[in-house]
Parts: sequence; structure tokens; C-alpha cells
Amino acid sequence: MPEESILSDDFVRELMNVGDVDIVVGVPTFNDARSVGQVVQAVRAGLLKHFPRERSVIINADGGSRDGTQDMVRAAAISDLSVASDVHALRTLHSISTQYEGGPANGIAMHTILAATDLLQARACAIVSPESTTLEPDWMERLLRPVLREGNDLVLPIYRRPKFDGLLIRNLVFPMAKTLYGCTVREPYPADFAFSGELGSQFLSQDIWNQEQGRRGTELWMTLWAAIGKRKLVQSFLGTKTRREDAPSDLVAAMRETAGTLFISLDTYSALWHLTPELLEVPCLGCEPSISDGPSRLNRKRLYDMFTFGVKELDPVFLSILTSPTHDELKRLAGLPEEKFTYSGELWARTVYEFAIAFHKAIIGRDHIVQALVPLFRGRAHTFLTQNRDSSPEQMESKIDLLCKEFEQEKPHLTELWDGGK
Amino acid sequence: MWQNFIGELARTMDEILRSVARFLPRFLEMLLLVVAGWVIAFVLRAAIRSVLRIVRFDKLSEHTGAAEVLRRSALPSPSEMLSRFVFWVAWLGFILVGLSVLPVPWIAPPISSFFGFLPRLVVAFFILFFGLLAASFFSRAALLSGVNADLPSPRLISQTLRTMMVLFVISMAFEVVGIGSRTVLIAFSLAFGALMLGLALAFGLGGKDLARKYLERRFARGTFPEEPRKEREDELSPL
Amino acid sequence: MAAQDGLWYKDAVVYQVHVRAFYDSSGDGNGDFRGLAQKLDYLQELGINTIWLMPFFPSPLRDDGYDIADYRTVNPTYGTLDDFKAFLEAAHQRSIRVIIEMVLNHTSDQHPWFQESRSSRDNPRRDWYVWSDTDTKYKGTRLIFVDTELSNWAWDPVSKQYYWHRFFSHQPDLNYDNPQVREEMWDIMKFWLQMGVDAFRLDAVPYLVEREGTNCENLPETHEIIKDLRVRMDREFPGRMLLAEANQWPTDLRAYFGNGDEFNMAFHFPLMPRMFMGLKLEDRKPITEILKQTPEIPENCQWCLFLRNHDELTLEMVTDMERDYMYDEYAKDKAMRLNLGIRRRLAPLLDNDRRRIELMNGLLMSLPGTPIIYYGDEIGMGDNVNLGDRHGVRTPMQWEGGWNGGFSPADPEALYSPLMLNPVYGFQAINVQSQKRFEHSLLSWMKLLIRVRKTTPVLGRGSIQFLYPANHRVLAYTRRLGNETVLVVNNLSSKAQAVELELKEFRGSILIEMFGRNIFPRIGDLPYLLTLGPYQFFWFRLRRI
Repeated sequence: MPEESILSDDFVRELMNVGDVDIVVGVPTFNDARSVGQVVQAVRAGLLKHFPRERSVIINADGGSRDGTQDMVRAAAISDLSVASDVHALRTLHSISTQYEGGPANGIAMHTILAATDLLQARACAIVSPESTTLEPDWMERLLRPVLREGNDLVLPIYRRPKFDGLLIRNLVFPMAKTLYGCTVREPYPADFAFSGELGSQFLSQDIWNQEQGRRGTELWMTLWAAIGKRKLVQSFLGTKTRREDAPSDLVAAMRETAGTLFISLDTYSALWHLTPELLEVPCLGCEPSISDGPSRLNRKRLYDMFTFGVKELDPVFLSILTSPTHDELKRLAGLPEEKFTYSGELWARTVYEFAIAFHKAIIGRDHIVQALVPLFRGRAHTFLTQNRDSSPEQMESKIDLLCKEFEQEKPHLTELWDGGK
Repeated sequence: MWQNFIGELARTMDEILRSVARFLPRFLEMLLLVVAGWVIAFVLRAAIRSVLRIVRFDKLSEHTGAAEVLRRSALPSPSEMLSRFVFWVAWLGFILVGLSVLPVPWIAPPISSFFGFLPRLVVAFFILFFGLLAASFFSRAALLSGVNADLPSPRLISQTLRTMMVLFVISMAFEVVGIGSRTVLIAFSLAFGALMLGLALAFGLGGKDLARKYLERRFARGTFPEEPRKEREDELSPL
Repeated sequence: MAAQDGLWYKDAVVYQVHVRAFYDSSGDGNGDFRGLAQKLDYLQELGINTIWLMPFFPSPLRDDGYDIADYRTVNPTYGTLDDFKAFLEAAHQRSIRVIIEMVLNHTSDQHPWFQESRSSRDNPRRDWYVWSDTDTKYKGTRLIFVDTELSNWAWDPVSKQYYWHRFFSHQPDLNYDNPQVREEMWDIMKFWLQMGVDAFRLDAVPYLVEREGTNCENLPETHEIIKDLRVRMDREFPGRMLLAEANQWPTDLRAYFGNGDEFNMAFHFPLMPRMFMGLKLEDRKPITEILKQTPEIPENCQWCLFLRNHDELTLEMVTDMERDYMYDEYAKDKAMRLNLGIRRRLAPLLDNDRRRIELMNGLLMSLPGTPIIYYGDEIGMGDNVNLGDRHGVRTPMQWEGGWNGGFSPADPEALYSPLMLNPVYGFQAINVQSQKRFEHSLLSWMKLLIRVRKTTPVLGRGSIQFLYPANHRVLAYTRRLGNETVLVVNNLSSKAQAVELELKEFRGSILIEMFGRNIFPRIGDLPYLLTLGPYQFFWFRLRRI
């Protein structure tokens, strides 16, 4: 039986016309017509400004948009066919678009882009989020130069962003990735990043594309994989990142992409994290203070309410996931009034580890385990917000360091349950 | 006379012996069938076990939450259950075939009806098994999404869903087996109808304000000032 | 000449040659007209039908003859006027036409006119040149020779005024506001036309007239002067031709064709660097873009195309980004750069890669316009960047492997320029004699190319339509004239390429490859699939049979 190809025939024909290139810029989209045009224009301007001599292509992998997203991308091409070529470019810049099957899923989009990068033998590939409306042409240089000129394998972003953005990353992904794998990257689940063609090809040949981590959270998986493989990672300061006003912020989806992926990685790398990892040094290029002031309109009361409500309603589920001391402790917490409520880092670390164990043993449906973590995370977020309401960025950093330590201290708990549990 | 008696006795003995001689091979045959059946069923069980292991049936049913039901009722793993079930059905089948070999006239009809009944039983069993699994899975899914979407009383929704599905599954299973199908169906219909009515009432009562507002806005746009939109609070930005 | 076709220049294949560099018959180390006449058989064999002679007038030779000291005779180094007449006669006998240079804009400072003009402020010829008390007039005028000149004004210590010069300071500009100057220049042209010269290449045309508040280029007054010359020439000498040297953007150049009443031909300067750029980028975009920007020209006019000439590969008509790219790719060595250009010959520019040389010549002969071959490029001669200015691309023609490369019997030290000696481009490696012996030599291939070009009038006169296949490494176009259609497909890439051509409108036609005359598959409903090797190109004649 012929191997099922991720690339459609039409797309392959388009790639054939693009030929071998130096740079691929991938844009995974799904109904992003509102912002993708702006993003792709900035990408194009960045390529023209900083890499006019490199052969480049913008590849859009679309998950089945019906709002004209693909047309917006195609319009960014620079060719001799376009009616008015007011752009002074040395070369043809192809901008092609394909719809992949089985979407929308960022992992499949990334698989498509990686396959194209591999076919075109690109030296570097950058992936940018269609929601990065603050993307400036210079981002292209900051992402691609470390790969093209300095021989790095993976370039991860650092943004200037509001104080309380990225709570899940800071409270779960960062401490866990650091504790288990020594991965100290600030944005381990990047929206805009770049990697060398070689790294891309190797990642493409990983046997993950039929699995969960090949569908969602693939970027996080790539970061972990590269960090574990001791590749040359570097962080590059990009600029301000704001969310699109109407961007959906689906906490459950985010939890699936991050916690789900991390939990899967525990299975894959169990031999590795049982040892104490070496901390991976990841230099930061052009780093600036990365916290911008902005009004925080987060409703802590709601977080608290959803936590207590979740603990109450999901009791039977928690019963099968958590050990009884942890379970009791959570029930006690849910009984406290909001002023006295504190979800300590230690308890949080233990909770996460016990969820990881439940996930490993598939005590109930794995997806249900991940979903059940959401209300608990809200509780943790509440405490984090309370503790850092008046913190300076430095103080917040030290709080996160402390949390990492607590994850480290609780690690034996994880190992013990993993090895000894029934 | 004695001679006669002896002769009769001998003939009877002979007959008995003959019938025993006639019966004994069949009995042995039956025993052989039962033993062979046990062996075959045993092999079948082993085969099914390994097939299920290869297709990762346990994982599959774990993913659908099947393991939980079994674990709660202190039952072995789903693949074990299935292989045991197959083992017993196969062996029972062989025992019954063995019995039918015996020259016992009254034993034949129940056996044939057993074999007629067997496929239905298997189907009913599967419906019940997977139906209950599905009920448990979907009710938990409903519970989790209810909690995460901040819906009111997710546990009630979840329990209702589970009850409905269990009822539905049972009625289906009975339907297949053909026992009291009518009664169960009526019970199910009653319960379902009651629930729908309840939901309709609840929605109607709860949503009457919403409905009124909608109608007002729909038919008299501009007549009523729009309610000021509540300041939108940021949802968490997790990533 | 027999068979006076008024549009002969459209079918011409021009050979640009410097008398001094071609063949020395007298043994003084300089080429001469007798020598050139002796080599006409070679040129006839090559297949060209027009010769463009670089300036051969008496001159101090401080700008390779573009600084003329006497317009009415021949520099004695190259022979006599009679020698020239004999050469002209011999060329015409072989159906080869001759274009000569006419430098209208300026003279040498050694020209008697300038000597008179500068002698005193009230000399009758004072007004023949542009004089000024200050060096601040015409501020908006750019400097052309940025590497050697600081201003367009030069101080004359004799008459204590500044004189205007757009090029070197030893080349004062004539004053075309003076009717006497205009009459005199026409008189000179008439002198040569009467002798039988077929065409003039008018040098530095845009700069004839100066006006305050302008950039002193392409002024309407300049166009008036050209129109006047053309009217006079057409009236008295029909069938002759004017060729413009104006290094300008196509839209500015367009004006020099007027309504077909100014120049017959003009050089397409911006195209040339873009052909090199497209080749290096492996992207057709630079070529198609510039040709898209090229305006339509009157029916009786024609573009003149060239790959290399006696000047540097000029990069004035490109953007800064493009210029940087060209420098980095084609002139890494700073010694190769001059003014805003690259002073190299064709073969070294293309790394002596036969496939690229063939492709570029193929483009030259198939894009719309009249092609010019610079002497020596037909055998792949090299250049000598160690010689100053542009002398490196003006070394003696390499005829054979013997004494002085067969150029001159003089002592090597007596030659006007040292010969190329290195093992790659030296005369012992690259010369006419050795290349004549082999069918696969560049010279033999050029003969074939020129023959095919000359037998295909559609290439000289036809229209062009680009095909824009999705593969941007492939430059494909059709040339059409009447029922004749030629399809040209070029692979600009160093790698093999597949290309799908949209040829629906020619459905049913058979392709005939024009060099081997082999038949290619008939065009059907599907896109026509072709595969091309590295730098490969095809010329197809479309035939409906």
C-alpha cells in the first residue's frame, strides 16, 4: 500500500515551482483572515529587508478556513506575474497556501510545513502565528539570523507582554520542563520561532505524527525534544506581543496542548527524567525587560468560584486521580473563604504530579484527566495573582524560581508513584 | 419357569448391557466433546487474549473510560472479561453439543433453542457492555465540560445523561434478547418524556426573560434602549 | 549597398570592434584598417553582417578615442583615409555594413576648435564651448565619472573661466545652442555618409544641451537637434541609420525614438545587468520586470542588445540593492569595479562556464532587439584587471597561439596593450585558430547560433509575449511575426528543472527544435511539460501541420 502523503498533489506541484530555497516561513492558520494579511505582509517586508538575496517562500498551512484566509496569504507573493510590482525585490517570493486534511490542528499544520521545508531543502524555517499582529519585519531577522548566520538549531521567542500573560506556562510548563528535563526556556511553547532545516528534518522523522503530540502541543514537544537532545537553543527578544482582542482563550485547549503534551513526554522520556537533569544554558539575544505594564482586568473572584465549584462537582473524578491526602487537602482548600485561600506551590506541584501519574496509568480517559486539571489550575492562578499583585518583575521571577524548587522537592513523590504505584 | 426367568433376566441384562454398551460410547463421546471443548475454549481464550493485547483493547477501553466501570465493580480488565466470556460460551456450547449426542429425547429442543438464542445473547451482552461504558464516558465528559464551561449544576446534567443512556442501553439489550421488551421500552419512553418536559419547562421558565427581550428586540428594534454591555473581563491568557 | 532594405538594422547581427585591437598589418604594435580589411573573411565566416567601429579619429587617446581631435580623418596609427575607404569597400562587397562612432557632445581639449576657443574670450570660436565665470551653474547635474572627476566644471587657466564637461575634464562639451556648431557637426556626418558609411552610433546623446534648473539630460532642445539631423540624413542619404548611446531608463529612452523620427535604434542599457542578475539569482524576475517596464517603440525602431562592450558593465540603471548584489556576485575583487560598474569581459564574468556563456548568448539573440557581439567574446577571451581604466577589456584579439597571438608581428613590448598571457584566458589557450578546428568550440557554436538567428527574421522583428510558467527559474516567451511563431525556453538555474508551459492557444502545433531540427511532441490540451538541464535553453519553431 502506498504511504499516505501529508502533502496534496497540488501542493507538491506548487513546491516544485518554488524549487530549493534558503528560508521557509510557515504560517499555520484557521479562519484568521482578519489578521493574517497584516502578519504575512510584515513577514514579506522582513524577508525583503533582511534577506533579500536568500531564496524564500511563505507557506501557509490552513486547517480549512472559510473566510478567505488563503487568499490573503497568496496575495503576498512577489512575482513577475503580478500586475503592479511596486515592490523592489531582487527575487521572486512565492507565497503559497495549502489546506491540510484532518484539521484544524496546529500539529498537522506544522507537519505540513516541516515536510515542505524538508522537500525544499531550506536552511532555515520560521513559523509565525497568524495572530501575531504586533509582528514587525525585524522579527524575521531576530528569528532567522541566529539560525542562518550563527548556526543555532532552534530559536525561541521572548516577548514583552503583560504581567499576567502566560500563567499556565509559568505555573506548569516552565517549572515542570525545568525540573524534569533541565529546559530553562522562557517560552517553551512558542507561537513564533525558527529552526534550522537540519533540525526540522530530524524532527520530521520522529514517530509522533500519528500520535496526540503530533496533533497538538507539537511546538512544545519540539522544544522539549531539542532541549533533551542538547541541541543549540537560543532565545531571541522579539518585541511586544499582544493578543488579538477577539482571540479565543480556551483554557481547556491550552491545557491539552501543554499539560497533555508534558504528560505524554513523561512516558516517552521516563528513563531520562528519573535522573537529575543538567540545566541547559539557553542564551538570550537582545533581551530587554519583558514585562509591559497594562491594566489587568482579570477577575480573581471568578477564578476562586470556579475552583471551589470544580472541586465540589468533580469529586468522583478527583477521587480516582488523586491520592487521598492531596484530595483531602484540596477539599479543605475549597472550603476556605476567598481571603484565606492559598493554593501553595508545594500542593500544586504534588497535584500536577499525581495527575501525571493518573495520565500515565490511564486511570480514566486521558483527555478527561487533563480536563479535570483545569479548575485546579484556576485555583493556582488565583493564588499566583494574589501573591504577585504588587510584585516587581524581579520579585515575580524569584517567585517562579521558588515554584521550580517546589516542583523539584516534590519530584520524589512523582518517581515513587510512578515506580511503585499499583 | 426358572429357566424362563433366567432367560428373561439374561435378556434384560443383555438389554441393559446392550443399552449401556450403546449409551457408553455416546457418553464417552460426550465426555470427549466436553474435554475437547474445554481445550478448544481454552485455546480460544488464549488466542483472544493475545489478539486483544495486540490491538491494545485495554488501552482502548481505558480511553473510553471502560476500565473504571470494571474496576469499580471489582472486575478484571476488559480484555480478560471478554476472553472469559468467550471461553464460557464456547465451552458451554461444546457441553451442550455433547449432551445432544446422548440418546435422551427431551434434551434436544432446549439445546437447539440455546443455540438459537446464543447469537442474540452475545449481541445483547456487547450492547450492554459498551453501552454502559459509553454512558459512563459521556456522563464524565459532560461533567467536565460543564464544570469547565461554568454551567450550572453539571453533576445533575451528567447524572441525567448517564441514567438516560443506561436506560436506553438496557432497553436495547432486552429488545435484542426479546424479554419484556415492551415494558422496558415503555419505561424508557416515560422517563425520557418526563425529562424532556422537565427540561422544556425549566428552559421556558428560566429563559422567559431572555425570550421576551429577544422578541422585543426583534420586533421593536430601537424602542428599548440597549442594556449597557457589561465590561468584558479578560479571560486568563494561559499561554 | 545592394538591396536597400530600410529596416536592415532589424535583422542585423552586429560585431563591435576596435581597429586598434583587431589586427596589425603594419607591424607597429597597433591594429589598423588594412589589418581589419584582411580579417573581414573571418567576420563573414562568423556570420555577422554589421561592424561597429569604435572611434578611429585622430585623438590624444586619453579616453580610448572618444576624445576626438579631428573629425574628418583617420588616426594615422590606424592608417589613412584611403585605407578606411578600401576597408569600407571590402566590407560592402561581403554584404557587411559599417557603423562608425560620432561623438557629438564633446571634443578633445586638443581639438583645434577648443584651442581656439580657449585662446581668448573674444575668439570667434569662444562660443563653440560652454564657458562660465562660476562653477555653480547647472547645479542639478549629476557627475558621471565619479571615480576620476570632482565637478562638471573645469578651470581653464588660459582664458580664466570654467568650461563645462560631462565626462573627463579633457573633454570639453560643445555648445549646441550655437547654430554654427550644429551645422559643422552635420557637415562632418555628411562627409562620412558620402563616403558610404551605413550608420552612426551617436555617443553621449542625452547631454548635448544644458539648461539651468534641470539635470541637463534628455532636454527637449536635445531632441530637436536629433530630429533635425535625422531629417537631413533621411533626405540626403535614405537607408542609413542612427544608433543612440543613452544610458537611461527605458521610459526616458523611449523619447529618443520620437515618433520614429529620431533614432532608429537605441541601446537597452537596463536590460543587460538584469540578464546577469537573473542568471545569478536563478530567477527570471529581473528580466521580465524590466521588459515589462520597457515601453512600446515605433514600428521602424529597434532596441540594441548587448552582453558586454568596451565599457564597464554599467550598474547605473539598477537599484542600490541590486548594485550591491551585482558587485558581490560578479566583482568580489574591488579591482574589478570601476565607476558604477564592473570592468570585465563576458567569459570571466560567467566563470568561463560554457553553459552559461551559451545561455546568455542565446538570450541575447532571442530577446527582442538587434544583438551586438563584442570582439573576442565569440571565442571567450578574458580580461586583465591590472590594466587601468577599461583597458583590461580592450586587449588585442587572439588569432593564434604563436607570436603575439597572431595579432602583430611587432615586438611584444611595442604592442599598444599587453596580450593576455595566463593559462586560462591567454592567447595560447584561447584563440581563433584552435577554435576553428573543432566543431564543439565556442566559436563554432557561435557561428551556428548566428546562422540560426539570421535565418529567423521573427527574432529580429517579431513581438514578444512572456509565458510566466509557475517555475520562476524558467524564462519562457514566444516571438511572433505574421504566421511565424518561435517559442524560447531558458533555464536560468544551475540545476535541472521541470516546467509546465501554458500553450493552449497553440494547440495542435508541433514543436521543431531550431538547432537540431528535431520534432518535439505536439501541443495538446494539457500544459506542455518540458525538462531542461542546467542552463539549458530551447528555441522551437511552432508548426501547424
